[in-house]
Amino acid sequence: MKPLRILIVDDEEDLAFTMAERLTLRGYRAEAVTCATDALQRVGEDEFDVVVLDVKMPGIDGLHLMAEIKQQHPDLPVILLTGHGSTADAERGMREGAAEYLMKPIDIEKLIEKIENSTALKKDEKP
Amino acid sequence: MSELSPQRRHELELAFFGRIGAHVSHEMRNVLSIVGEYAGLLADLVAAAGNGRPLDCEKLAQLSGNIAAQVRKGTETMGRFSRFAHAADQRNASFDLTSLVADVAVLAQRHLARAGCTLEARLPDGAIPVTGDPFGLQHAVFSAVELLVEFLKKGESATIKLDAEGSTAVITIQGRATVTTSELSARISRLSPESKQWKGRVDTSCTEGLLSLAFEIPIQ
Repeated sequence: MKPLRILIVDDEEDLAFTMAERLTLRGYRAEAVTCATDALQRVGEDEFDVVVLDVKMPGIDGLHLMAEIKQQHPDLPVILLTGHGSTADAERGMREGAAEYLMKPIDIEKLIEKIENSTALKKDEKP
Repeated sequence: MSELSPQRRHELELAFFGRIGAHVSHEMRNVLSIVGEYAGLLADLVAAAGNGRPLDCEKLAQLSGNIAAQVRKGTETMGRFSRFAHAADQRNASFDLTSLVADVAVLAQRHLARAGCTLEARLPDGAIPVTGDPFGLQHAVFSAVELLVEFLKKGESATIKLDAEGSTAVITIQGRATVTTSELSARISRLSPESKQWKGRVDTSCTEGLLSLAFEIPIQ
């Protein structure tokens, strides 16, 4: 079975790249970008199974970015990362089409569970 | 900037304290998240070594250096927040204006970053001793930055400058902004009430859309 392809989008470079490395160690094909422009470029270039997206990034609303990603790939599951102060944004994100959300600091096992759930859901939805 | 009741002033100060607290807690949460990820990666690499994957000592040294850097960052952030919070202890105190403006500039950087803008601080090398209300001055300067941000375009850079001339120090917050005099007048009341005490002055007449907000402070 092909490993799942995961795109992590977080302006905190250290966080994004370390998360990608940890997922890679667990057998996933994960890569990280730190801005909206790069995120849109990557989802335009390659096929990902899931996007993990920080809700609060400087200069852009994460939910707006999710809407743009969804416009290109309506079926691509998006998992939102949020802080304690922005759960309202994440809940709004769920209403607007996010597959899951997760609070920072991230527990990698919980993230994997959400990744597996959201991609399984996508497969189930296919005719 | 009309006179405010003590109750209203207290409410504004509390709201300001809350905004700064929220900025700092967000920054600390990021620091802790990153430390958590690095620690997790260390544990992953050790576990992988147990399964026969060679342990890369250079990688481990790099990770431990990264954790130490995040701890330093968190310590600086908490130190800055502690100075900010203790500024409210004495409403009339002698303090170093250069350090105060440096701290406010760092606290304000996140506020600008959220708007997609940046803030550059231009500060003198030495200390500038002044007497007054340090918390009130922080509030005044931060409210000026908040006002400026409302008019900055995404991607713009703002400057916070501190100059000392003779017996007066001047803090100037400046940026390229599209604003009419009437728009600015409508929002000028958002400057903190302490701005008046610090002779907050707004200069929009200066050149080609460069909005400046300045405070004059007598040097001790």
